[in-house]
Amino acid sequence: MSTGSPEGTAGWPPPVLDPAGPFAEPVTTVSWVLFAMAGAVLTLVLVALGVALFGPRRWRKRLGGARLIWIGGLAFPVLVLSALLVYGLGLTSHLADDPQPGEMRVRVTGEMWWWRVAYLDDRGREVLQDANEVHIPVGRPVVFELDAADVIHSFWVPRLGGKKDMIPGRRNYLRLQADLPGSYGGQCAEYCGGPHALMGLVVVAHAPGEFDAWRARQAAPAPTAALITRGSEVFRRSGCGACHTVRGTDFNGLAGPDLSHVGSRRTLGAGILPNNQGTLGGWISDSQAIKPGNRMPAYPVLTGEDLRAVSAWLDSLE
Amino acid sequence: MANRLDTRASLSAVPAMGLACAVIGLAGCADKADQPRSLAGADPARGLVVIKRAGCASCHAVPGVRWPAGATAASLDGFGDRPLISGRLPNQPDTLVRFIRDAPSLDPQTAMPPMPVTEAEARHVAAYLYTLR
Amino acid sequence: MTSETGFDADRYKRFPTRGPRPDGELEELERIWCKPKGWQWISAINNNYVGVYYVGAAMLFFVLAGLLAVLMRTQLALPMQGILAQETYNQFFTVHGTMMMFLFAVPAVEALGVLLLPQMLGARDLPFPRLSAYAFWAYLIGGLAFFCSLFFGLAPNGGWFMYPPLTSMTYSPGINADFWLVGIGFIEISAIAGAIEIIVGVLRNRAPGMSLDKMPMFAWAMLIFAVMIIIAFPSVILATTLMELERALDWPFFDPVRGGDPMLWQHLFWFFGHPEVYIIFLPAAGATSTIIPAIARTPLVGYRLVVMAMMATGFISFGVWAHHMFATGMPTISTSYFSAASMAVSVPAGVQVFAWIATLAAGKMRFNTPGLFAVGGLVTFVMGGLTGVMVAMVPFDWQAHDSYFIVAHLHYVLIGGMVFPFFAAIYYWLPMTSSRPLSERMGKWVFWLMFTGVHITFLPMHLTGLMGMPRRVYTYLPDRGWELPNLISTAGAVLTAIAVLLWIIDMARNFRPFGNREAGNVFDGPGLEWLPTGLYSVRSVPVITSLYPLWEQKGLSRDVEAGRYFLPNSATGRRETIVTSTLNAEPQYLQRMPVPSPWPIWAAVFTAAAFLLLTIQAYWPSLIAGVLGIYCVFNWCWTLDRPVDQLTADIGAGIRVPTYRAGPSSHGWWAMVLTLVVGGMVLSLAAFSYVFLWSRNPGEWTPPPPLASLPWILAPYAAAALLSWGACRILRLARPRSGLIATVLLVGASGLVGLGWVLEWEAWRGIGTDPTAHAQGAMVYAFLAWQGFFAFIATVMGLYASLRWVAGLIAPDRPTTYDLIALFVVYTAGQGAFAALLVHLFPGG
Repeated sequence: MSTGSPEGTAGWPPPVLDPAGPFAEPVTTVSWVLFAMAGAVLTLVLVALGVALFGPRRWRKRLGGARLIWIGGLAFPVLVLSALLVYGLGLTSHLADDPQPGEMRVRVTGEMWWWRVAYLDDRGREVLQDANEVHIPVGRPVVFELDAADVIHSFWVPRLGGKKDMIPGRRNYLRLQADLPGSYGGQCAEYCGGPHALMGLVVVAHAPGEFDAWRARQAAPAPTAALITRGSEVFRRSGCGACHTVRGTDFNGLAGPDLSHVGSRRTLGAGILPNNQGTLGGWISDSQAIKPGNRMPAYPVLTGEDLRAVSAWLDSLE
Repeated sequence: MANRLDTRASLSAVPAMGLACAVIGLAGCADKADQPRSLAGADPARGLVVIKRAGCASCHAVPGVRWPAGATAASLDGFGDRPLISGRLPNQPDTLVRFIRDAPSLDPQTAMPPMPVTEAEARHVAAYLYTLR
Repeated sequence: MTSETGFDADRYKRFPTRGPRPDGELEELERIWCKPKGWQWISAINNNYVGVYYVGAAMLFFVLAGLLAVLMRTQLALPMQGILAQETYNQFFTVHGTMMMFLFAVPAVEALGVLLLPQMLGARDLPFPRLSAYAFWAYLIGGLAFFCSLFFGLAPNGGWFMYPPLTSMTYSPGINADFWLVGIGFIEISAIAGAIEIIVGVLRNRAPGMSLDKMPMFAWAMLIFAVMIIIAFPSVILATTLMELERALDWPFFDPVRGGDPMLWQHLFWFFGHPEVYIIFLPAAGATSTIIPAIARTPLVGYRLVVMAMMATGFISFGVWAHHMFATGMPTISTSYFSAASMAVSVPAGVQVFAWIATLAAGKMRFNTPGLFAVGGLVTFVMGGLTGVMVAMVPFDWQAHDSYFIVAHLHYVLIGGMVFPFFAAIYYWLPMTSSRPLSERMGKWVFWLMFTGVHITFLPMHLTGLMGMPRRVYTYLPDRGWELPNLISTAGAVLTAIAVLLWIIDMARNFRPFGNREAGNVFDGPGLEWLPTGLYSVRSVPVITSLYPLWEQKGLSRDVEAGRYFLPNSATGRRETIVTSTLNAEPQYLQRMPVPSPWPIWAAVFTAAAFLLLTIQAYWPSLIAGVLGIYCVFNWCWTLDRPVDQLTADIGAGIRVPTYRAGPSSHGWWAMVLTLVVGGMVLSLAAFSYVFLWSRNPGEWTPPPPLASLPWILAPYAAAALLSWGACRILRLARPRSGLIATVLLVGASGLVGLGWVLEWEAWRGIGTDPTAHAQGAMVYAFLAWQGFFAFIATVMGLYASLRWVAGLIAPDRPTTYDLIALFVVYTAGQGAFAALLVHLFPGG
């Protein structure tokens, strides 16, 4: 059932146990192995405890000596843990290879409380900017370069793989891959103050051809036909360009998300609202009521027509 | 499903009267004292789903939607009892459906943009709004 | 068994003595140890009082922090609720975590130690009761002030882990974060004071004959706990100091733009923060290891194994801190090591769990309330331990980290490992201090409600985490499937709250402390704490020949009560206790104990005031409070280390021991050395931080001052150390003027330490080092600040020494005060020299 929340974030089946790519799948396998281990050990302890508490005297006598400690408390855990360790270490090294040349790279920068997304070319230069939404081709590993602009954030798309922190002054790498087209929800996992709870994102995986088409569309400047409208005029008058960029115009602010193609995004407010003219209007007019504490001030002073015009214009930037 | 949502909506409106009115409204039999607001084939429950998907609540407080509760536009609590839409249009089903889909065509000064919903979806939404009393 | 001190163990055979004791002995003990009258109750320092206050305060903070938890669960019951505003919620979860860890868990177990250890060890009291009182009052005042910051919206909101840069001045400009630093400052003070008290108490105040292998499990646990505090807390002391310096003076330790690194905080915080978990767990496990044998009426199976397991836990726990940082992009080699260590640390926990099960099997469990809590804790702890093994697996942790799975894991571990055992301890030991035990019927209700509530709350959270819900969120979006598990968790939280409420009612109805008689050994425990006691603790200090004296030493209670053992009276007519040797507990000397005094309490009040006033930026009032605090400490120490008219005393059956001891075998010396170990740990960690920050940006580091300045800085330090040593030697010569010369030397030494510090400062100022410009300068100045603090204390001590000399309180046969000051000055000189060598020579020009 698609409702108010962003795409790709249905809670069931649990995303960690419902992998959608080769970097999540082994972790799911590990999870099941660990659940089995934990279940078995817990059963063992409970049975031993049950016997110790309620068992017949003869059985209790067998348990009631240091031998139980040597076997249950020492030998058995050492065995189980060693096996797990060997298994886990092998997996870790496989999952955490360094980025290779030629791999597709996307730089995601955590900001309070949204995600700046930049697509990089082979030489690591930015070719286009976007926000709160990452588009990737299916079936191909993508290296995420993770930066932080202010405080520590953590990038987590559970169906595609584990999380990685974004730390000011450092750059981390995370490799993810989606095997099927679709949307995969994620959320900031490191407490970053204020509305940390409402810092979501969506990874959209496209079939290869579609991905190239999407990329070509995005690389273009904002649709020019829509430029000389009342909406863009309101945008200028209200000073929106101080924080936001719309490529192909002289709006070139850097503090907030790039809006060149905001109309094509699936969500608004960092993965928390559906995106259409109406929600755009509501967000512009009073984003603080929707996501308290976010960095965009409310603009309640716009007249009805102006608000409609500016949201219509933004919506047209596809 | 419909009953459950109905109950919730009316409970948050006028607890005593709400349930009865909603049931009457659903059944489509107009009380004499009430204005006729029949929307043949419209389902309030589906209306609520559309409302959530379209994000109406980013401007309007909508009973039945926990969040957001935008304050840009009027709350829709008790909408079913209001005589006017947007303070100037008669609150009739056909007008409401048209207003939902394309408000500026009826009221050029409104801040409400045309909403990306189909005719059928707009009817479900209207049906839901009429349950709010 | 060879003797440790030359004490002839055959002399123990004189006990129990025969024949009636002289009249009036008991009355004299009662008079000497009586509680202060009237409004002066506040100045009580006996552990029977302070211990009870201490446990009570810890429980108060438990209830308050729990209340916050219930409110948070209410907010999270449904998606996007507005019961708690975002900022309020962020403050609540920060305060909840901070209070539970710092104001409940650590103080609670420390409080149990203060309350129980003297009785368990057969001592009259722990060696430094005034220090305990100070620690308690500083903790109570600081804790309450910290909690009250919530009412003004000034509570910290950066999480209990306080990661910069979120907590830096840029992103947390308010004084909220400073309240966290202050709150933690108090707990640092009281935890370390308590730890020193406990280490010296456990190692030096045991009843004669109680060799290490006859020491109660709980005492072992508290000993390891205290040692861990001494090693782990310096890390948080350093971290909080650096952060406060960064916030107040803009020294960029954690600012990557100026050569700092936010990861430095994470390393320092978790080097403290993970051992902290075991610091909390071990005493509770020690309590479980004491209660389970009592409840099953059989000795603990595998006593030695359990002791070794606890030591292993303590040891390994210092090698696992970075498992909180698997997602920070550490190299695989590091994650592998920390993964292995994190798994290894569960082995000793397993040993303890199976020792408990084996004990239950060997005996016959009685299903009373302490027993239920102990077993319930065992089950819950095992579950938390298993999820702990899961998150020790790096790939799994990448998914589970910072999700609700971790919330579930940590609560299972802490509730199973600490809260349930703590409740078991309360139900088990309360009859020791109350004239009525708690109600068994109600206790069972409390247990079953709490057990059910805890599992209903936290079991679904494993799933919520796997469903993708991150931690520390004030709300969540609807339609993500998180509603149901969250609603269930909230229901469980309410159930848990009801259980705690029932327990409070039970306490209100039945807890009657400080009376003339106690309910006593209702559970038939085997430990010395169940001997009949008065305010003077035991009537006579027994000779211990067994691990379970009350079960195995027949007639012990009767003989102790009749005064047939050591110290049946007051040998010198004052408060006193026997100091025994570390391994075999052979009597060494008679320690004179301090009497009640209001000064430690006033010192605590002014310490608290100084810190709090500093937080609200009232600098002058803060300074005044600080000076008053020092005045109070002077007064507190003034009456200590006084001559006793008898040089030796008969401590029973004609065994005579000295009444005074100075030098390395005295309890004061031990306490000072432990304090200096804390200082040395801070220094080592600062050195680590220095090298760590250098390794981040070696290219940005600038050359130190010219090498020629180094000898000039080291010379005064070397001279200070020499003079201090000389002062102690000369005082012992006992020549007519040796007191004067020693005083002059000591004051001179403290002055030289200050001189070395000034020269070091000048050297760096001379080359224009600006602490706000780069992390290198900030680190250099941090060393200077730390050294300056020690030099200041050394100066204050020099002043105190001269005052003592003027008052005629320094005599060749009472050198302890000078010994301790000299120790401190020597350490300070060494610390200054070490820091100077490090920052001048590494990385060098």
